[in-house]
Amino acid sequence: MAETLQNLALGFGVALAPGVLLYAFVGCLVGTLVGVLPGVGPLAGISLLLPATFGLDATRAIVLLAGIYYGAMYGGSTTSILMRIPGEAASVMTCIDGYEMARRGRAGAALAIAAVGSFVAGTLSVVALMLLAPPLANFALRLGPPENFALLLLGLLVLAYMSGGSMLKSLAMAALGLLLGMVGIDPMSGYFRFAYGVVELGDGIGVVPLAVGLFGLAEVLVTAGKATPPLVQQPRLRELLPSRDEWRQSVGPIGRGTLLGFLIGIIPGSAHIIASFVSYAVERRLSHRPEEFGRGAVAGVAGPESANNAATSGAFVPMLALGVPSGPIPAVMLAALMVHGVSPGPLLIQQAPALFWGFIASMYVGNFMLLILNLPLVGLFVNVLRVPYGLLYPAIVVLCVLGVYAVNGSIVDVWIAVAMGVLGWLLRMLQFETAPIVLGAILAPLLEMSFRQSLAMSDGYYGIFVTRPLAATLLAVGVLLLLLGLRASIARGLDWRERLALAEKGDQS
Amino acid sequence: MSRFASIILVLGACLAGAAGGARAQEPFPSRPITLVAPFPPGGVADLTARPVAAALERTLKNPVGVVNKTGAAGAVGMQSVATSKPDGYTLLLALSSISIIPEADKLFGRPPAFTVDQFAPIALISADPTILVVRTESPWKTAKEFIEDASKKPGQISYSSSGIYGTLHMAMELLSHAAGIKLRHVPHSGAGPALTALLGGHVDALASGPAVVLPHIKSGKLRALAGWGESRVAALPDVPTFKELGYPGAEFYIWAGVFAPRGTPEPVLARLREGLRAAVADPDFKAAMDKLETPIVFKQGEEFARFFAADAKRLTDGVRTVGKIEEKK
Repeated sequence: MAETLQNLALGFGVALAPGVLLYAFVGCLVGTLVGVLPGVGPLAGISLLLPATFGLDATRAIVLLAGIYYGAMYGGSTTSILMRIPGEAASVMTCIDGYEMARRGRAGAALAIAAVGSFVAGTLSVVALMLLAPPLANFALRLGPPENFALLLLGLLVLAYMSGGSMLKSLAMAALGLLLGMVGIDPMSGYFRFAYGVVELGDGIGVVPLAVGLFGLAEVLVTAGKATPPLVQQPRLRELLPSRDEWRQSVGPIGRGTLLGFLIGIIPGSAHIIASFVSYAVERRLSHRPEEFGRGAVAGVAGPESANNAATSGAFVPMLALGVPSGPIPAVMLAALMVHGVSPGPLLIQQAPALFWGFIASMYVGNFMLLILNLPLVGLFVNVLRVPYGLLYPAIVVLCVLGVYAVNGSIVDVWIAVAMGVLGWLLRMLQFETAPIVLGAILAPLLEMSFRQSLAMSDGYYGIFVTRPLAATLLAVGVLLLLLGLRASIARGLDWRERLALAEKGDQS
Repeated sequence: MSRFASIILVLGACLAGAAGGARAQEPFPSRPITLVAPFPPGGVADLTARPVAAALERTLKNPVGVVNKTGAAGAVGMQSVATSKPDGYTLLLALSSISIIPEADKLFGRPPAFTVDQFAPIALISADPTILVVRTESPWKTAKEFIEDASKKPGQISYSSSGIYGTLHMAMELLSHAAGIKLRHVPHSGAGPALTALLGGHVDALASGPAVVLPHIKSGKLRALAGWGESRVAALPDVPTFKELGYPGAEFYIWAGVFAPRGTPEPVLARLREGLRAAVADPDFKAAMDKLETPIVFKQGEEFARFFAADAKRLTDGVRTVGKIEEKK
C-alpha cells in the first residue's frame, strides 16, 4: 500500500506538470465535444487526433487520447437527454429516461446527475484500476469465447426487463436488431451476407447510423408529424439542480452501475455498450417503481451513465497490465504507444513507471476537470430547449447527418441513417420501442463470433459451454433470469385478465 | 461536381494526354498528393503510411496527406484508388491483402471489388516475416516438435488469426501446406484479439508479426519457435526459419508497399519511385520505423514487381488451398 502511494505520488508529479495538465484538459474538452456531437464517438475522435499526437511524447499522447475517451462518455449524455439523440452509442439507454425527464422540465437535473454519476464512476474505477490491474487482467484473459458467449446471451436476456410495454413487442424488435446485425462478411467463412454488391455493407450496418437514425432522426420526424408543435420550455435556474429526492434515488444506481461497468469493461472483446444496457435492466429490476422506467426515472439515467464511464476505465486494465486490447479504442491507444517506441506489454509497469503512474494520476485529474467543465455547462446546454423548434430541428438533422458521415466518411452510412430514421418513425407510430433494435444489432455479430469461435475451439462439441465453470455459471444465471422474466410475464398476463374482467363489469353496470 | 462535368474532365485529360506525351501540361507534382491507407488509424497500414507521407513530402517538396478510407477488410479503400484518376496524385499504401481480396472474391464467385491489374506497383517499403509463437508452458520447445505433434494429432492443435483469409491465417495455412499438417483455425477480429486468445490459453499457437509479440517473449509468457522469413529476425537470432528447417514453402511477410492506379504515366511513376527511395533514407523516417520495430525493406521497379508477383502467387495458392470453408466438412 505504501508503495502504491509512493508510486501515485510519482504519477501526480508527472500528471500535474503544466505540459501534461494542458493535454489532459485539451483531451477532456475535445472528448466532451466529440461526445456532444451526435454520431461522432470516442473511436472517431481518437482516430482523428492520433496522427496529431505523433509529435508529442508518449505520456502526453496517451493522456490526451485517454481524455478524449472518457470525456466522450461525459459528453454523450447531453444530446441524449436534451434531444433524444445518442451523442455516442453507449448513451442509447440515457435517451429513454433522460429525454423523458427533459420533457418534464428536469433536463438540468438529468444532466447534473449524469455528470456526477460519471465522476463517481470514473474516479472509483480508477482506484480499482490502480490497485487491481495485474490480477484482474490475468483473470480477464481467462475469459475466452465461451464465457463471452454466455455473457452476451445474458445481455440479450436482459431485454426481458427493458421495455415498458409488451414483452412480445420488445422481443420482436430485438429479433429485428439481430437480423440487421447479420448483414456483412461472415466472420468464419468470408461470405458477404445481405450486402447486395455494396462493398461498404461488408462491414455490416454501423451502430452509429443505426442509433442516430432510430433515435435522432425518428424523433424529429415524430415531432414534425404532430398537429401542434411542442411547447418551447423555459428552464428556470432553480430547477437546474436535482432535488434531494432525485439524489437519493441516484446513489444506489451509481454504485451498482460503477461495479457492473468496470467488470464488463475489463473483459476483452465484450461490447462496453452492454454495460449501460445491463445497468438499466438491473435498476429496473431492483426498483420499487419499475413502471416509472421509460417515463423519466432518475435511476434510468444515473445507472447507465455511471456504467459506461466505469467501463472506460475497465477497458484500460488489460491494455495497461498486459498490453492487449480489450476493444477497438484501446487498440488505437496501444498503437499510439508503439509509435512512441513504448512497447506495451506485461513489463510496461516496471519499464515505464512514470508513464503508467502518470497516466493513472491524470485520470483522477481528468475526471475532476470534467466535472468542473460539465456542471456549469448544464446551465448553458439546457438553453437549447429555449430554441424554437423551427430552428432547432433542422439544426438537429444537419448535426445527425454530419456526425454519421464523419465516422467513416461514408455516404452509404448516411443513407442507412435516413432509412433507419424512417423505420424508427414508423415503429414509434406503431408503439414499438427502438432501443432493443440497437441492442440486437450490436450483440448479433459479437454473439455469432463468440459462439462460432467456441465451436471452432471444441471442434463442434457443444459441451464446451457447460464444461468451463465460468461459462456454465453465466449461462445458469441467464436461465434464472429468463425464468424470472417468464414468471413476471405470466403474472402480467393475470393482471390483464383481471383488468379485462373489471372492464367488462364496468360495461355491464 | 456533376457526372457530366467529370466526363468532360476525363475526356479533356485524355485529349491532353493524346496531344503530346512528352509535353506535360504541368510538372509533377504541383498539387497535394493523397496517400490512401485502406485501414483505420493505428493499424500497420496507417502507422506505415504516416511516416512515408511525411518523408515523401520532404523529398518531393510537395504536400502529401494520408486519408484513411476503411471498410470491408480494406476493399473499400483499395477500390477507391483503383478507380481514381491515374495522375499520380492518388496513391495507395497496401498490405498483402491487396492480392488476397480479389482471389477471395473470385472464390465466392462475386464481382471483384477490384483486381490486382488495376494497380501499378511503385515501391515496397517494409517487409516483416511472421513468427510462430506458443505459450511458454506449452509442450513444444521447437518447431520440429510442434510439427511432429501436429502430424500425430491432425486438427487438434488450434491457432488464432486476425480473421478468415487474413494475413495471420494465410501464414499458418502456408505452413500447414508445406509441412503436410492440419491445424484447427479459430478466427478472431484482428491481430490484437488473436494475441489475447493465445495469451489467455484459448488457442495453442499464433503466427504473428515480431514487434507485437516481442514484449511477451521477453517477459517469458510466449516462446518463438520459428520464422517465415528468408532470414532470421534480427531481434530473435536464435529462432530458426522454416526454410532452414526444410519447409521452403512456408515463406510469408507482412509487407507494406505503395501503389498507383494503372495507367499512371511513366515519368510520374519514375518521379514517385525516386521520391520514395529518398524518403526511406530519411533519418526521421528511419527513426519512426525503428520505434515500430519494423524493418525497412525497399524494393522498386522490376525488383518490387518480382517480389509482388511471387507473394501474390503464394497467397492466391493459399486462398485456393483453403477454399471455401463449408465445403471442407
